[in-house]
Amino acid sequence: MGDNKSTPPPPSQPLSLTNVNSLLDSVDCFLFDCDGVIWKGDTLIDGVPQTLEMLRTKGKKLVFVTNNSTKSRKQYAHKFQSLGIHVTQEEIFSSSFAAAMYLKVNEFPPEKKVYVIGGEGIIEELKLAGFTGIGGPEDAKKTVQLKANTLFEHDKSVGAVIVGLDPHLNYYKLQYGTLCIRENPGCIFIATNRDATGNMTDLQEWPGAGCMVAAICGSTQKEPITVGKPSTFLMDFLQKQYKIPTDKMCMVGDRLDTDILFGQNAGCKTLLVLSGVTNMSTLQDPSNHIQPDIYTNQVSDIFDLLNS
Amino acid sequence: MLAVVSAGVPHTYFNRISSPSSSSSYSLSINEKKINTRIGWSNRMDDNINNNNNKMMKKKTKDVFVTSASASASAQPLQDADALIDSVETFIFDCDGVIWKGDKLIDGVPQTLELLRSKGKRLVFVTNNSTKSRKQYGKKFETLGLSVNEEEIFASSFAAAAYLQSIDFPKDKKIYVIGEEGILIELELAGYSYLGGPEDGGKKIELKPGFYMEHDKDVGAVVVGFDRYFNYYKVQYGTLCVRENPGCLFLATNRDAVTHLTDAQEWAGGGSMVGALVGSTQREPLVVGKPSTFMMDYLANKFGITKSQICMVGDRLDTDILFGQNGGCKTLLVLSGVTSLPMLQNPNNSIQPDFYTNKISDFLSLKAASV
Repeated sequence: MGDNKSTPPPPSQPLSLTNVNSLLDSVDCFLFDCDGVIWKGDTLIDGVPQTLEMLRTKGKKLVFVTNNSTKSRKQYAHKFQSLGIHVTQEEIFSSSFAAAMYLKVNEFPPEKKVYVIGGEGIIEELKLAGFTGIGGPEDAKKTVQLKANTLFEHDKSVGAVIVGLDPHLNYYKLQYGTLCIRENPGCIFIATNRDATGNMTDLQEWPGAGCMVAAICGSTQKEPITVGKPSTFLMDFLQKQYKIPTDKMCMVGDRLDTDILFGQNAGCKTLLVLSGVTNMSTLQDPSNHIQPDIYTNQVSDIFDLLNS
Repeated sequence: MLAVVSAGVPHTYFNRISSPSSSSSYSLSINEKKINTRIGWSNRMDDNINNNNNKMMKKKTKDVFVTSASASASAQPLQDADALIDSVETFIFDCDGVIWKGDKLIDGVPQTLELLRSKGKRLVFVTNNSTKSRKQYGKKFETLGLSVNEEEIFASSFAAAAYLQSIDFPKDKKIYVIGEEGILIELELAGYSYLGGPEDGGKKIELKPGFYMEHDKDVGAVVVGFDRYFNYYKVQYGTLCVRENPGCLFLATNRDAVTHLTDAQEWAGGGSMVGALVGSTQREPLVVGKPSTFMMDYLANKFGITKSQICMVGDRLDTDILFGQNGGCKTLLVLSGVTSLPMLQNPNNSIQPDFYTNKISDFLSLKAASV
């Protein structure tokens, strides 16, 4: 896994009969992205349940690392269950969890508040970690009055603004987050992730958290601390829990600049699936410098190859 | 490779410049400020050499001649207003923070404009605010008791339409607008058909299985500006057009981070909406408003003015002053808007106007005799 930028990385190899067994033999833990790998929106991708079952029976640990911050770990566990897959909360590492943990690890004072531009998932994880989140889905209905004598107020005790995927983005939230970051001394700006797009529904891609985060970068002229992929922040938690060396892990994802880069940054093997936002031409485009070790169409190819 | 938690990850995102090759000089993104300043300085130096006004030149050369682009001389407090006035033919004024704040006129403005007109100076008003059309701005000036002609006003809403005309954007293509009425009015006046605008503020998204958003394949340009009705529907619509309609242009009226929409406080500006589209398309827009020199070139051409005969007066360093410098004009910063003296003098600030003063009415009080 060369990360020397001056020489181009070796091109990615297709998953096939020649390498599937050595992949399985060398990996103790599979890290799966969710959107575009396990499901698309609320629609399961074919063959996923059997593949995950098979990996478990072979004694592999399964972990789900998702940048989608709209749900908490608990809510994700429910989603898996509703799709017929048994996954425990502890196996899920969402960027909503990552944001709350970042504050915890950095001893964010619990008496300070956190303004959230994003979903319920972030608000819940903050609560679980002992913090007070304000904003979130509630602010979706708020509007702004631009009149001479009206002041747009904001809570001066907000010490951090967390921005994640928010399909209910509006000007109120943009303004609130902007004022907190610009005017509250020492206010931290955290991004759960910066994915440009995602498969929020099965039929097409939609703007991702990268959009909301860039909006706040545009109004504050500040860069956030990113806690989700490709930042390896979550890897520390994973390692504490599983005590598996990263070179015995394989990151399976659909996005080069988050999933695969995360895997490479952490020293894992990387497997790109083409069932999500990336297609062959993007992978092979000369401007792409991120080469996963292996690529394949979808997760169930592992199952199909082992059974052939 | 990447530093762990504390690094933002902008460099992993492709930053393709999407502008048509003929206008690559206009696509200045906010991150390129230092480069802009270097371009601005070299333009200025060339102009100074060609400038025939010796009195002004000597003083300025002594003050501002630089050998290296990165070491810009610091701004001088304006002392001899008459000398500045005599050295130029045209004054370009920013509006928010210079002429008015929200809907309140700044003290002494009417008399100052009168003075300049009586001295035969041409006055032009260039604002990045795209919410109104030129005509609507004309009304605002009138309401505040200022006699300003619509033809003297150049808002970034007008700039977007003028840009499309300048590249012969085909009239049978549509324009998707993420922005307010001003842009719609100017596009219509220029003979273009548009979609979007404020009415898309009411459109909702349901992210559920089977939901598919269609978009008009005839959209050939997406124009993004300040939009208080901003929402996810618009972001997706604009993103689909930019990503999927071949050759679709991505234009920004401006990228101001914050703006004084009311006199009492700052508000998240067009930079926010444009940022959102940059985040989802991973493309940089072509910016028509300040600090891009598009509007400068347009009005220099329209009025037949030499840029060294212009003084740009504004309250914001990274738009107004940079605009003036990039255009090769003299620059005067006023402290009646978003920039304070400490901000100007902060070692992190590399944008130095030629002069600074409290507000434009200082023209009335700062005379040669008092120096």
